Amino acid sequence: MTQRLLRLVLPVLLFAALVWFWEWAVAYWQVKKFVLPPPSAILAVFQSDGASLLASAGATAKTTFAAFALAAVSGIALAALFASSRLAEAMLSPYAVILQVTPVVAIAPLVVIWVGLDNAWLAVLILAWIVAFFPVLANATAGLKAADPNLRDLFRLYRATPLQTFRRLLVPSSLPYLLAGLKTAGGLALIGAVVAEFAAASGTSGGLAWRILEAGNRLQIAKMFAALILLALMGVLIYAALTFLEWLLLRRWHGEVAR
Amino acid sequence: MPDLRLSHLARTFASGTSALADLTATIPAGAFVSLVGPSGCGKSTTLRLIAGLDAPSAGAIEWDGDRPEIGFVFQEPTLMAWASAARNVALPLELAGLRKGAALERARAALGHVGLAGFENALPRELSGGMKMRVSIARALVAGPAALLMDEPFAALDESTRARLNGDLLRLWSEEKFTVVFVTHSVFESVFLSQRILVLSGRPGRLVADIANPAPYPRDELYRTSPQFNDVARDVLLALKAGER
Repeated sequence: MTQRLLRLVLPVLLFAALVWFWEWAVAYWQVKKFVLPPPSAILAVFQSDGASLLASAGATAKTTFAAFALAAVSGIALAALFASSRLAEAMLSPYAVILQVTPVVAIAPLVVIWVGLDNAWLAVLILAWIVAFFPVLANATAGLKAADPNLRDLFRLYRATPLQTFRRLLVPSSLPYLLAGLKTAGGLALIGAVVAEFAAASGTSGGLAWRILEAGNRLQIAKMFAALILLALMGVLIYAALTFLEWLLLRRWHGEVAR
Repeated sequence: MPDLRLSHLARTFASGTSALADLTATIPAGAFVSLVGPSGCGKSTTLRLIAGLDAPSAGAIEWDGDRPEIGFVFQEPTLMAWASAARNVALPLELAGLRKGAALERARAALGHVGLAGFENALPRELSGGMKMRVSIARALVAGPAALLMDEPFAALDESTRARLNGDLLRLWSEEKFTVVFVTHSVFESVFLSQRILVLSGRPGRLVADIANPAPYPRDELYRTSPQFNDVARDVLLALKAGER
Protein backbone atom coordinates (compact mmCIF):
# COMPACT_ATOMS: atom_id res chain seq x y z
CA MET A 1 0.00 0.00 0.00
CA THR A 2 2.73 2.46 1.02
CA GLN A 3 4.69 1.18 -1.99
CA ARG A 4 1.84 2.12 -4.33
CA LEU A 5 1.39 5.49 -2.63
CA LEU A 6 5.10 6.20 -3.02
CA ARG A 7 4.96 5.28 -6.71
CA LEU A 8 2.21 7.86 -7.12
CA VAL A 9 3.65 10.58 -4.90
CA LEU A 10 7.34 10.40 -5.87
CA PRO A 11 6.94 11.39 -9.54
CA VAL A 12 4.71 14.32 -8.52
CA LEU A 13 7.24 15.47 -5.93
CA LEU A 14 10.07 15.20 -8.45
CA PHE A 15 8.03 17.19 -10.96
CA ALA A 16 7.34 19.93 -8.42
CA ALA A 17 11.02 20.06 -7.47
CA LEU A 18 12.13 20.32 -11.10
CA VAL A 19 9.62 23.08 -11.86
CA TRP A 20 10.73 25.01 -8.77
CA PHE A 21 14.41 24.61 -9.72
CA TRP A 22 13.64 25.72 -13.31
CA GLU A 23 11.86 28.88 -12.04
CA TRP A 24 14.66 29.63 -9.58
CA ALA A 25 17.52 28.93 -12.04
CA VAL A 26 16.11 31.12 -14.81
CA ALA A 27 15.83 34.02 -12.38
CA TYR A 28 19.20 33.38 -10.69
CA TRP A 29 21.26 33.20 -13.90
CA GLN A 30 19.06 35.80 -15.63
CA VAL A 31 18.36 33.57 -18.64
CA LYS A 32 16.71 35.55 -21.44
CA LYS A 33 13.00 34.87 -22.01
CA PHE A 34 13.49 33.98 -25.69
CA VAL A 35 16.02 31.29 -24.75
CA LEU A 36 14.28 29.64 -21.81
CA PRO A 37 11.15 31.14 -20.29
CA PRO A 38 10.35 30.32 -16.63
CA PRO A 39 7.41 28.01 -15.86
CA SER A 40 5.44 31.02 -14.61
CA ALA A 41 5.65 32.58 -18.10
CA ILE A 42 4.34 29.35 -19.67
CA LEU A 43 1.49 29.33 -17.16
CA ALA A 44 0.76 32.94 -18.10
CA VAL A 45 0.48 31.90 -21.76
CA PHE A 46 -2.10 29.29 -20.78
CA GLN A 47 -4.07 32.07 -19.05
CA SER A 48 -3.84 34.58 -21.91
CA ASP A 49 -3.95 32.24 -24.96
CA GLY A 50 -5.48 29.14 -23.39
CA ALA A 51 -8.66 29.17 -25.45
CA SER A 52 -6.93 29.51 -28.82
CA LEU A 53 -4.29 26.92 -27.88
CA LEU A 54 -7.01 24.47 -26.86
CA ALA A 55 -8.78 25.10 -30.18
CA SER A 56 -5.53 24.26 -31.97
CA ALA A 57 -5.13 21.15 -29.83
CA GLY A 58 -8.67 20.22 -30.86
CA ALA A 59 -7.73 20.56 -34.53
CA THR A 60 -4.66 18.35 -34.10
CA ALA A 61 -6.67 15.84 -32.07
CA LYS A 62 -9.28 15.72 -34.82
CA THR A 63 -6.61 14.96 -37.42
CA THR A 64 -4.98 12.38 -35.14
CA PHE A 65 -8.19 10.53 -34.39
CA ALA A 66 -9.35 10.58 -38.00
CA ALA A 67 -5.96 9.32 -39.20
CA PHE A 68 -5.90 6.64 -36.49
CA ALA A 69 -9.41 5.44 -37.32
CA LEU A 70 -8.61 5.40 -41.03
CA ALA A 71 -5.34 3.53 -40.38
CA ALA A 72 -7.10 0.98 -38.15
CA VAL A 73 -9.90 0.26 -40.63
CA SER A 74 -7.72 0.16 -43.74
CA GLY A 75 -4.90 -1.76 -42.02
CA ILE A 76 -7.25 -4.43 -40.68
CA ALA A 77 -9.13 -4.70 -43.98
CA LEU A 78 -5.94 -5.11 -45.99
CA ALA A 79 -4.56 -7.64 -43.48
CA ALA A 80 -7.79 -9.66 -43.79
CA LEU A 81 -7.39 -9.57 -47.57
CA PHE A 82 -3.75 -10.75 -47.23
CA ALA A 83 -4.84 -13.57 -44.93
CA SER A 84 -7.45 -14.80 -47.39
CA SER A 85 -5.36 -14.49 -50.55
CA ARG A 86 -1.64 -15.09 -50.88
CA LEU A 87 -1.83 -13.63 -54.36
CA ALA A 88 -3.17 -10.33 -53.04
CA GLU A 89 -0.43 -10.26 -50.40
CA ALA A 90 2.30 -10.93 -52.96
CA MET A 91 0.87 -8.26 -55.23
CA LEU A 92 0.19 -5.48 -52.70
CA SER A 93 2.63 -5.88 -49.82
CA PRO A 94 5.62 -4.37 -51.71
CA TYR A 95 3.63 -1.15 -52.15
CA ALA A 96 2.74 -1.08 -48.47
CA VAL A 97 6.43 -1.41 -47.65
CA ILE A 98 7.41 1.33 -50.13
CA LEU A 99 4.81 3.62 -48.56
CA GLN A 100 6.25 2.82 -45.15
CA VAL A 101 9.95 3.28 -45.88
CA THR A 102 9.60 6.53 -47.84
CA PRO A 103 9.97 9.37 -45.32
CA VAL A 104 6.65 11.11 -44.93
CA VAL A 105 8.31 14.54 -44.94
CA ALA A 106 9.48 13.78 -48.47
CA ILE A 107 6.01 12.78 -49.68
CA ALA A 108 4.40 15.77 -47.99
CA PRO A 109 5.06 18.49 -50.64
CA LEU A 110 3.52 16.29 -53.32
CA VAL A 111 0.41 15.54 -51.28
CA VAL A 112 0.11 19.22 -50.35
CA ILE A 113 0.19 20.18 -54.04
CA TRP A 114 -2.29 17.50 -55.05
CA VAL A 115 -4.96 18.01 -52.38
CA GLY A 116 -3.65 20.58 -49.92
CA LEU A 117 -4.23 23.67 -52.05
CA ASP A 118 -7.99 23.18 -51.86
CA ASN A 119 -8.14 21.45 -48.52
CA ALA A 120 -5.14 21.64 -46.21
CA TRP A 121 -6.80 19.46 -43.57
CA LEU A 122 -7.25 16.61 -46.05
CA ALA A 123 -3.56 16.76 -46.98
CA VAL A 124 -2.55 16.59 -43.32
CA LEU A 125 -4.99 13.72 -42.75
CA ILE A 126 -3.59 11.71 -45.65
CA LEU A 127 -0.01 12.18 -44.45
CA ALA A 128 -0.84 11.21 -40.86
CA TRP A 129 -2.71 8.16 -42.16
CA ILE A 130 0.32 7.03 -44.19
CA VAL A 131 2.45 7.11 -41.04
CA ALA A 132 -0.06 5.31 -38.81
CA PHE A 133 -1.26 2.74 -41.31
CA PHE A 134 1.73 0.44 -41.57
CA PRO A 135 2.03 -0.85 -37.97
CA VAL A 136 -1.65 -1.83 -38.05
CA LEU A 137 -1.20 -3.69 -41.32
CA ALA A 138 2.04 -5.40 -40.25
CA ASN A 139 0.76 -6.47 -36.83
CA ALA A 140 -2.67 -7.55 -38.02
CA THR A 141 -1.06 -9.58 -40.82
CA ALA A 142 1.36 -11.24 -38.39
CA GLY A 143 -1.50 -11.85 -35.95
CA LEU A 144 -3.73 -13.50 -38.53
CA LYS A 145 -0.88 -15.90 -39.31
CA ALA A 146 -0.17 -16.63 -35.65
CA ALA A 147 -3.00 -19.10 -35.04
CA ASP A 148 -1.91 -22.44 -33.55
CA PRO A 149 -1.40 -24.85 -36.50
CA ASN A 150 -2.98 -27.69 -34.50
CA LEU A 151 -6.10 -25.57 -33.93
CA ARG A 152 -6.19 -24.86 -37.66
CA ASP A 153 -6.08 -28.62 -38.25
CA LEU A 154 -8.88 -29.09 -35.75
CA PHE A 155 -11.04 -26.56 -37.62
CA ARG A 156 -10.28 -28.44 -40.85
CA LEU A 157 -11.15 -31.76 -39.23
CA TYR A 158 -14.56 -30.38 -38.27
CA ARG A 159 -15.05 -28.96 -41.76
CA ALA A 160 -15.27 -25.35 -40.61
CA THR A 161 -16.14 -22.85 -43.34
CA PRO A 162 -13.55 -20.14 -44.13
CA LEU A 163 -15.80 -17.61 -42.41
CA GLN A 164 -16.06 -19.76 -39.25
CA THR A 165 -12.29 -20.21 -39.18
CA PHE A 166 -11.76 -16.48 -39.63
CA ARG A 167 -14.24 -15.41 -36.97
CA ARG A 168 -13.62 -18.06 -34.34
CA LEU A 169 -9.90 -18.75 -34.75
CA LEU A 170 -7.98 -16.15 -36.75
CA VAL A 171 -9.54 -13.01 -35.27
CA PRO A 172 -9.14 -13.97 -31.59
CA SER A 173 -5.60 -15.32 -32.18
CA SER A 174 -4.60 -12.07 -33.86
CA LEU A 175 -6.05 -9.77 -31.18
CA PRO A 176 -2.90 -9.42 -29.02
CA TYR A 177 -0.85 -8.57 -32.14
CA LEU A 178 -3.48 -6.20 -33.48
CA LEU A 179 -3.75 -4.29 -30.20
CA ALA A 180 0.04 -3.90 -30.03
CA GLY A 181 -0.12 -2.52 -33.56
CA LEU A 182 -2.90 -0.11 -32.64
CA LYS A 183 -0.87 1.15 -29.68
CA THR A 184 2.03 1.96 -31.99
CA ALA A 185 -0.33 3.46 -34.56
CA GLY A 186 -1.95 5.74 -31.97
CA GLY A 187 1.37 7.39 -31.16
CA LEU A 188 2.38 7.51 -34.81
CA ALA A 189 -0.91 9.13 -35.83
CA LEU A 190 -0.08 12.07 -33.54
CA ILE A 191 3.51 12.23 -34.82
CA GLY A 192 2.19 12.03 -38.39
CA ALA A 193 -0.32 14.81 -37.76
CA VAL A 194 2.40 17.08 -36.33
CA VAL A 195 4.90 16.32 -39.09
CA ALA A 196 2.20 16.86 -41.71
CA GLU A 197 1.22 20.20 -40.19
CA PHE A 198 4.87 21.26 -40.26
CA ALA A 199 5.23 20.10 -43.84
CA ALA A 200 2.03 21.74 -44.99
CA ALA A 201 3.24 24.86 -43.14
CA SER A 202 -0.07 26.60 -43.52
CA GLY A 203 -2.32 28.29 -41.01
CA THR A 204 -5.42 26.83 -42.60
CA SER A 205 -4.99 23.56 -40.73
CA GLY A 206 -4.70 25.50 -37.47
CA GLY A 207 -3.18 22.67 -35.42
CA LEU A 208 -0.71 22.80 -32.56
CA ALA A 209 2.28 22.18 -34.82
CA TRP A 210 1.39 25.26 -36.80
CA ARG A 211 1.16 27.24 -33.53
CA ILE A 212 4.68 26.05 -32.63
CA LEU A 213 6.03 27.22 -36.01
CA GLU A 214 4.19 30.53 -35.71
CA ALA A 215 5.33 31.17 -32.12
CA GLY A 216 8.89 30.18 -33.06
CA ASN A 217 8.98 32.70 -35.87
CA ARG A 218 7.91 35.40 -33.39
CA LEU A 219 10.34 34.17 -30.70
CA GLN A 220 7.38 33.52 -28.35
CA ILE A 221 9.22 30.68 -26.69
CA ALA A 222 6.79 30.38 -23.78
CA LYS A 223 3.97 29.77 -26.23
CA MET A 224 6.07 27.08 -27.96
CA PHE A 225 6.46 25.36 -24.61
CA ALA A 226 2.75 25.62 -23.93
CA ALA A 227 1.92 23.96 -27.27
CA LEU A 228 4.58 21.31 -26.64
CA ILE A 229 3.08 20.48 -23.25
CA LEU A 230 -0.36 20.06 -24.83
CA LEU A 231 1.10 17.72 -27.48
CA ALA A 232 2.84 15.61 -24.84
CA LEU A 233 -0.40 15.39 -22.86
CA MET A 234 -2.27 14.26 -25.98
CA GLY A 235 0.34 11.57 -26.63
CA VAL A 236 0.07 10.28 -23.06
CA LEU A 237 -3.75 10.25 -23.26
CA ILE A 238 -3.72 8.27 -26.51
CA TYR A 239 -1.29 5.74 -25.08
CA ALA A 240 -3.26 5.39 -21.86
CA ALA A 241 -6.55 4.94 -23.71
CA LEU A 242 -5.15 2.23 -25.99
CA THR A 243 -3.44 0.45 -23.10
CA PHE A 244 -6.77 0.44 -21.28
CA LEU A 245 -8.49 -0.99 -24.36
CA GLU A 246 -5.85 -3.72 -24.51
CA TRP A 247 -6.33 -4.54 -20.84
CA LEU A 248 -10.10 -4.59 -21.31
CA LEU A 249 -10.01 -7.04 -24.21
CA LEU A 250 -7.16 -9.33 -23.18
CA ARG A 251 -6.95 -9.31 -19.39
CA ARG A 252 -8.94 -12.53 -18.97
CA TRP A 253 -6.98 -14.83 -21.21
CA HIS A 254 -3.70 -13.35 -22.33
CA GLY A 255 -0.79 -13.99 -19.96
CA GLU A 256 1.27 -10.90 -20.86
CA VAL A 257 -1.53 -8.53 -19.93
CA ALA A 258 -3.08 -10.51 -17.11
CA ARG A 259 0.08 -10.55 -15.04
CA MET B 1 -19.60 -48.61 -36.89
CA PRO B 2 -17.18 -49.16 -39.77
CA ASP B 3 -13.90 -51.05 -39.75
CA LEU B 4 -10.82 -49.13 -40.82
CA ARG B 5 -8.39 -50.60 -43.36
CA LEU B 6 -4.96 -49.16 -44.06
CA SER B 7 -3.40 -50.72 -47.14
CA HIS B 8 0.23 -50.12 -48.11
CA LEU B 9 0.05 -46.64 -46.68
CA ALA B 10 3.09 -44.46 -47.46
CA ARG B 11 3.90 -40.79 -47.11
CA THR B 12 6.89 -39.00 -48.60
CA PHE B 13 7.07 -35.24 -48.02
CA ALA B 14 7.88 -32.66 -50.68
CA SER B 15 11.39 -32.32 -49.17
CA GLY B 16 12.02 -35.98 -50.10
CA THR B 17 11.85 -37.21 -46.50
CA SER B 18 10.01 -40.49 -46.28
CA ALA B 19 8.06 -40.66 -43.04
CA LEU B 20 6.05 -43.80 -43.62
CA ALA B 21 7.03 -46.57 -46.03
CA ASP B 22 4.45 -49.31 -45.97
CA LEU B 23 1.70 -49.81 -43.41
CA THR B 24 -1.05 -52.34 -43.85
CA ALA B 25 -3.46 -53.07 -41.01
CA THR B 26 -7.12 -53.60 -40.36
CA ILE B 27 -8.57 -51.97 -37.29
CA PRO B 28 -11.98 -53.41 -36.40
CA ALA B 29 -14.73 -51.13 -35.21
CA GLY B 30 -14.56 -50.49 -31.49
CA ALA B 31 -10.99 -51.73 -31.10
CA PHE B 32 -8.31 -50.05 -28.97
CA VAL B 33 -5.09 -50.11 -31.00
CA SER B 34 -1.78 -48.46 -30.15
CA LEU B 35 0.96 -47.40 -32.53
CA VAL B 36 4.44 -47.45 -31.02
CA GLY B 37 7.83 -46.84 -32.58
CA PRO B 38 10.91 -44.63 -32.38
CA SER B 39 10.74 -40.88 -33.08
CA GLY B 40 10.16 -40.04 -36.70
CA CYS B 41 8.71 -43.42 -37.63
CA GLY B 42 5.53 -41.90 -39.00
CA LYS B 43 3.17 -42.51 -36.07
CA SER B 44 1.80 -38.98 -36.10
CA THR B 45 1.79 -38.98 -39.90
CA THR B 46 -0.38 -42.09 -39.83
CA LEU B 47 -2.89 -40.40 -37.54
CA ARG B 48 -3.02 -37.31 -39.76
CA LEU B 49 -3.59 -39.54 -42.79
CA ILE B 50 -6.44 -41.37 -41.05
CA ALA B 51 -7.99 -38.05 -40.00
CA GLY B 52 -7.81 -36.76 -43.56
CA LEU B 53 -5.56 -33.85 -42.54
CA ASP B 54 -2.89 -35.12 -44.94
CA ALA B 55 -3.00 -37.22 -48.11
CA PRO B 56 -0.97 -40.43 -48.56
CA SER B 57 1.70 -40.60 -51.30
CA ALA B 58 0.71 -44.21 -51.91
CA GLY B 59 -1.77 -46.70 -50.55
CA ALA B 60 -5.26 -46.12 -49.26
CA ILE B 61 -7.36 -45.56 -46.18
CA GLU B 62 -10.72 -47.29 -46.38
CA TRP B 63 -13.66 -47.23 -44.05
CA ASP B 64 -16.53 -49.66 -44.41
CA GLY B 65 -19.08 -47.16 -45.64
CA ASP B 66 -18.75 -43.42 -45.27
CA ARG B 67 -15.92 -41.81 -43.33
CA PRO B 68 -17.27 -41.53 -39.80
CA GLU B 69 -17.04 -38.64 -37.37
CA ILE B 70 -13.53 -38.47 -35.97
CA GLY B 71 -12.26 -37.00 -32.72
CA PHE B 72 -8.62 -35.93 -32.49
CA VAL B 73 -6.48 -35.31 -29.42
CA PHE B 74 -3.10 -33.67 -29.96
CA GLN B 75 -0.02 -33.93 -27.77
CA GLU B 76 -0.73 -30.40 -26.57
CA PRO B 77 -4.22 -29.66 -25.22
CA THR B 78 -4.64 -27.26 -28.20
CA LEU B 79 -7.37 -25.18 -26.58
CA MET B 80 -8.57 -21.74 -27.57
CA ALA B 81 -6.99 -19.57 -24.86
CA TRP B 82 -9.75 -16.95 -25.09
CA ALA B 83 -12.65 -19.37 -24.58
CA SER B 84 -13.98 -21.09 -21.46
CA ALA B 85 -13.69 -24.86 -21.05
CA ALA B 86 -17.34 -25.24 -22.09
CA ARG B 87 -16.93 -23.05 -25.19
CA ASN B 88 -13.83 -25.06 -26.17
CA VAL B 89 -15.70 -28.34 -25.83
CA ALA B 90 -18.73 -26.95 -27.69
CA LEU B 91 -16.59 -26.00 -30.71
CA PRO B 92 -17.19 -29.13 -32.86
CA LEU B 93 -20.93 -28.86 -32.29
CA GLU B 94 -21.05 -25.14 -33.06
CA LEU B 95 -18.98 -25.64 -36.22
CA ALA B 96 -21.49 -28.30 -37.27
CA GLY B 97 -24.25 -25.69 -36.97
CA LEU B 98 -25.76 -26.53 -33.60
CA ARG B 99 -27.25 -23.56 -31.73
CA LYS B 100 -25.01 -22.13 -29.03
CA GLY B 101 -27.34 -22.99 -26.15
CA ALA B 102 -27.77 -26.62 -27.15
CA ALA B 103 -24.06 -26.97 -27.91
CA LEU B 104 -23.10 -25.59 -24.49
CA GLU B 105 -25.52 -27.93 -22.76
CA ARG B 106 -23.91 -30.97 -24.38
CA ALA B 107 -20.45 -29.53 -23.72
CA ARG B 108 -21.25 -29.28 -20.00
CA ALA B 109 -22.38 -32.89 -19.98
CA ALA B 110 -19.17 -33.95 -21.77
CA LEU B 111 -17.06 -32.03 -19.22
CA GLY B 112 -18.91 -33.83 -16.42
CA HIS B 113 -18.05 -37.11 -18.13
CA VAL B 114 -14.32 -36.44 -17.97
CA GLY B 115 -14.51 -35.34 -14.33
CA LEU B 116 -14.55 -31.58 -14.87
CA ALA B 117 -18.01 -30.70 -13.59
CA GLY B 118 -17.80 -27.24 -12.03
CA PHE B 119 -15.01 -26.04 -14.33
CA GLU B 120 -17.28 -25.11 -17.25
CA ASN B 121 -16.45 -21.40 -17.07
CA ALA B 122 -12.73 -21.74 -16.34
CA LEU B 123 -10.30 -20.43 -18.92
CA PRO B 124 -7.48 -22.73 -20.09
CA ARG B 125 -4.87 -20.68 -18.21
CA GLU B 126 -6.71 -21.37 -14.97
CA LEU B 127 -6.50 -25.17 -15.44
CA SER B 128 -3.66 -27.62 -14.74
CA GLY B 129 -2.00 -29.62 -17.53
CA GLY B 130 -4.03 -32.72 -16.76
CA MET B 131 -7.30 -30.75 -16.63
CA LYS B 132 -6.55 -29.10 -19.97
CA MET B 133 -5.99 -32.54 -21.48
CA ARG B 134 -9.37 -33.63 -20.06
CA VAL B 135 -11.00 -30.64 -21.77
CA SER B 136 -9.28 -31.69 -25.00
CA ILE B 137 -10.65 -35.24 -24.63
CA ALA B 138 -14.15 -33.95 -23.85
CA ARG B 139 -13.99 -31.83 -27.02
CA ALA B 140 -12.90 -34.84 -29.08
CA LEU B 141 -15.79 -36.94 -27.73
CA VAL B 142 -18.59 -34.37 -27.53
CA ALA B 143 -19.92 -35.05 -31.03
CA GLY B 144 -20.05 -38.80 -30.39
CA PRO B 145 -17.34 -39.80 -32.89
CA ALA B 146 -16.96 -43.37 -34.14
CA ALA B 147 -13.18 -43.09 -33.97
CA LEU B 148 -10.85 -41.30 -31.56
CA LEU B 149 -7.31 -40.55 -32.76
CA MET B 150 -4.81 -39.65 -30.04
CA ASP B 151 -1.31 -38.38 -30.76
CA GLU B 152 0.82 -38.92 -27.63
CA PRO B 153 -1.84 -37.17 -25.60
CA PHE B 154 -0.34 -37.77 -22.15
CA ALA B 155 3.36 -37.46 -22.97
CA ALA B 156 3.74 -34.08 -21.25
CA LEU B 157 1.99 -35.09 -18.01
CA ASP B 158 3.48 -36.38 -14.76
CA GLU B 159 3.23 -40.09 -14.06
CA SER B 160 0.33 -40.11 -11.60
CA THR B 161 -1.80 -37.77 -13.73
CA ARG B 162 -0.98 -39.93 -16.70
CA ALA B 163 -2.04 -43.14 -14.92
CA ARG B 164 -5.30 -41.53 -13.84
CA LEU B 165 -6.06 -40.32 -17.36
CA ASN B 166 -5.21 -43.79 -18.75
CA GLY B 167 -7.84 -45.29 -16.45
CA ASP B 168 -10.41 -42.64 -17.34
CA LEU B 169 -9.79 -43.12 -21.05
CA LEU B 170 -10.45 -46.88 -20.72
CA ARG B 171 -13.65 -46.16 -18.81
CA LEU B 172 -14.90 -43.78 -21.52
CA TRP B 173 -13.95 -46.26 -24.23
CA SER B 174 -15.79 -49.15 -22.56
CA GLU B 175 -18.87 -46.95 -22.11
CA GLU B 176 -19.03 -45.46 -25.57
CA LYS B 177 -17.41 -48.16 -27.75
CA PHE B 178 -15.59 -45.90 -30.21
CA THR B 179 -12.48 -47.09 -32.06
CA VAL B 180 -9.22 -45.74 -30.60
CA VAL B 181 -5.95 -45.35 -32.47
CA PHE B 182 -3.45 -44.29 -29.81
CA VAL B 183 0.06 -43.11 -30.63
CA THR B 184 2.62 -43.29 -27.84
CA HIS B 185 6.34 -43.50 -27.15
CA SER B 186 5.67 -45.51 -24.04
CA VAL B 187 5.65 -49.31 -24.36
CA PHE B 188 4.04 -49.62 -20.93
CA GLU B 189 1.25 -47.19 -21.71
CA SER B 190 0.49 -49.02 -24.96
CA VAL B 191 0.33 -52.39 -23.22
CA PHE B 192 -1.84 -51.11 -20.37
CA LEU B 193 -4.37 -49.52 -22.70
CA SER B 194 -4.72 -51.54 -25.85
CA GLN B 195 -6.01 -54.77 -27.30
CA ARG B 196 -3.43 -54.61 -30.05
CA ILE B 197 -0.06 -52.91 -30.43
CA LEU B 198 1.29 -52.11 -33.88
CA VAL B 199 5.08 -51.69 -33.72
CA LEU B 200 6.70 -49.53 -36.39
CA SER B 201 10.37 -49.50 -37.41
CA GLY B 202 12.59 -46.42 -37.50
CA ARG B 203 12.19 -43.88 -40.32
CA PRO B 204 10.73 -44.55 -42.78
CA GLY B 205 8.18 -46.47 -40.73
CA ARG B 206 7.26 -50.04 -41.59
CA LEU B 207 5.07 -52.42 -39.63
CA VAL B 208 7.42 -54.83 -37.80
CA ALA B 209 4.97 -56.48 -35.42
CA ASP B 210 1.27 -56.70 -34.69
CA ILE B 211 1.01 -57.86 -31.08
CA ALA B 212 -2.27 -58.83 -29.44
CA ASN B 213 -2.89 -58.19 -25.76
CA PRO B 214 -5.64 -60.60 -24.67
CA ALA B 215 -5.92 -59.31 -21.08
CA PRO B 216 -9.57 -58.63 -20.26
CA TYR B 217 -11.03 -55.24 -19.29
CA PRO B 218 -11.53 -53.54 -16.93
CA ARG B 219 -7.80 -53.36 -16.23
CA ASP B 220 -6.86 -51.83 -12.90
CA GLU B 221 -3.58 -50.41 -11.63
CA LEU B 222 -2.46 -53.86 -10.36
CA TYR B 223 -2.55 -55.12 -13.93
CA ARG B 224 0.50 -52.94 -14.58
CA THR B 225 2.61 -55.24 -12.37
CA SER B 226 1.17 -58.62 -13.44
CA PRO B 227 3.14 -61.35 -15.27
CA GLN B 228 0.72 -61.12 -18.24
CA PHE B 229 1.50 -57.42 -18.56
CA ASN B 230 5.23 -58.16 -18.50
CA ASP B 231 4.95 -60.84 -21.17
CA VAL B 232 3.28 -58.49 -23.64
CA ALA B 233 5.61 -55.62 -22.74
CA ARG B 234 8.62 -57.86 -23.44
CA ASP B 235 7.23 -58.82 -26.85
CA VAL B 236 6.72 -55.14 -27.72
CA LEU B 237 10.21 -54.17 -26.52
CA LEU B 238 11.82 -56.97 -28.54
CA ALA B 239 9.88 -55.97 -31.63
CA LEU B 240 10.97 -52.34 -31.16
CA LYS B 241 14.60 -53.44 -30.85
CA ALA B 242 14.30 -55.60 -33.97
CA GLY B 243 12.79 -52.66 -35.84
CA GLU B 244 15.68 -50.36 -35.00
CA ARG B 245 18.11 -52.42 -37.09
